[in-house]
Amino acid sequence: MKPFTDEQEKSLVAWTKKYPYTNLGLIEALRSVQGWHRMITPEAASAVADIFKLPFNHVWGVATFFPTFTRWKTGEKRVGVCHGLSCFLKGSNKAEWCLEKTLGVPKKQATPDGKLSWETMECLGACEQAPALQVNDRLVGPATDEAIAKLKDMK
Amino acid sequence: MTKILTVHFDDPKLHELETYRRLGGYEALKKALGMERKALQEEVVKSNLRGLGGAGFPVGFKWSTVPPEDKVPGPRYVVVNCDESEPGCYKDRVLVTRAPHQLLEGLLIASYVIGAKDSFIFIRGEYQNQYDILEKAVAEAEKAGLLGDVRIHLMRGAGAYISGLDTALLETMEGKKAWPRQPPPFPTVAGLMGKPTVVNNVETLSMLPFIVREGGEAFAKIGCAKNGGTVLFSVSGHVEKEGVYEVPMGTKLRDVLALAGGVKGGKKLKCVIPGGTSMPPLLEKDLDICLDFDAIRAAGTFLGAGGMIVLDETVDAVEVAHNIERFLAHESCGQCTPCREGSNWSERILERILEGKGQAGDTENLARVGENITGKVICALGDTVGMVTRAYITKFPDDFKKRVPNHG
Repeated sequence: MKPFTDEQEKSLVAWTKKYPYTNLGLIEALRSVQGWHRMITPEAASAVADIFKLPFNHVWGVATFFPTFTRWKTGEKRVGVCHGLSCFLKGSNKAEWCLEKTLGVPKKQATPDGKLSWETMECLGACEQAPALQVNDRLVGPATDEAIAKLKDMK
Repeated sequence: MTKILTVHFDDPKLHELETYRRLGGYEALKKALGMERKALQEEVVKSNLRGLGGAGFPVGFKWSTVPPEDKVPGPRYVVVNCDESEPGCYKDRVLVTRAPHQLLEGLLIASYVIGAKDSFIFIRGEYQNQYDILEKAVAEAEKAGLLGDVRIHLMRGAGAYISGLDTALLETMEGKKAWPRQPPPFPTVAGLMGKPTVVNNVETLSMLPFIVREGGEAFAKIGCAKNGGTVLFSVSGHVEKEGVYEVPMGTKLRDVLALAGGVKGGKKLKCVIPGGTSMPPLLEKDLDICLDFDAIRAAGTFLGAGGMIVLDETVDAVEVAHNIERFLAHESCGQCTPCREGSNWSERILERILEGKGQAGDTENLARVGENITGKVICALGDTVGMVTRAYITKFPDDFKKRVPNHG
């Protein structure tokens, strides 16, 4: 079975043409795949390798190097709490505990309905809003109990 | 205090082209395009502008190492490094959010000097909000005909801290694992796809409009010897007012701390990390150190990317060292064995100490592991692994003594 729809495949091909060199689009292409499948499977990496005319090993190496790409299925909303030093000083430990309790799943595991998953992340570049909370690559603000409680209703 | 980049930050619509132009934006680009490229580069040399992404390399000199077109024909590139991810650093995020056109103007000036027709902004994937802002700003500038014959490409990273290092950034852009390259050749000679490439930080490029407008000497005069202009500090941790503060190069640490309202709740200061967690901390007695690349180096630490973290007396140095080593172990790219293994060893030893299972010889072991990394790896991340533990053990022996039997 093909890992991508025709439309998805078209947009992957578009990444091969967006920059002056084909390979410059690889990370962006894999970001798209991560967004669609919420993980990167060897089958998807292999199909991307074909589109970019690269060896599978190259693409799989990249897909397993970067933290954005996962081999586990994230929730539709991928929640990250920063545990860098500034966020640690402002209670990222407590935020982790609150996330686990509120979402009811351990880190790096999606809720049964697939809507949410959470994980600790390295510095999110928001040290003044510690402990920083982000959803799908967008900063939400400090990971207060209230902010975490709202995650379930977030659109 | 003199400000350059944040001078119009009280205008809520600064991110829009119309506002930026009303405040004199893109006039410097116009002036630059009417100047000889060589003369512009001279101004940047005179300005004493240093690379504000952390390395502090003189920008004019970096540019001068790009081989001339008659010697090396073909494309050359300018890449904006917007991949800040060292704990404590968030100034680029603020600069891009508030003044995206200031960055674009600087980038266009640099592209003109270097002769780049394709320029790139590499932004970390976690900055999706900022990516949207830049996308909009580039479209606005393009519609207004400001880009000329330069194409600006946006590109997102995928969550690796090491991608923020220039050569690892180029590898990431090329669709590879972010493994730093061993220079030489430096990127200015063989960078993106082997072509001459200038990689500059967001803050560095944002300084260019001022330098073109007012002249290199005026910029140099604002700072101190060999460190022109201003520098942004993103302050976080135990302070009253966290935020980004712009001060002239060479401002005393005490004064930056005062801008941020001092230590939160009137507590006593334990230490200040001046430039991001990879930099050894400074103590109360160091508060009169001048913050510029050279003076701070003489004090045994680095300006880094201005990510200042303030820690009060309640903090345990072992916890801090463990947090930083955990970060470094997670972000070690795995290319050099001493760093790949050593960062994990350091983390594990510190974790053991934290769990109350410290053993005699643990601090000596940490120092030994560190010595086997620093100077024996390709990039600065590895060097840091040893430097950080050594700094915290030497500066806070009591915290380690409490937990490690027979320490010191």
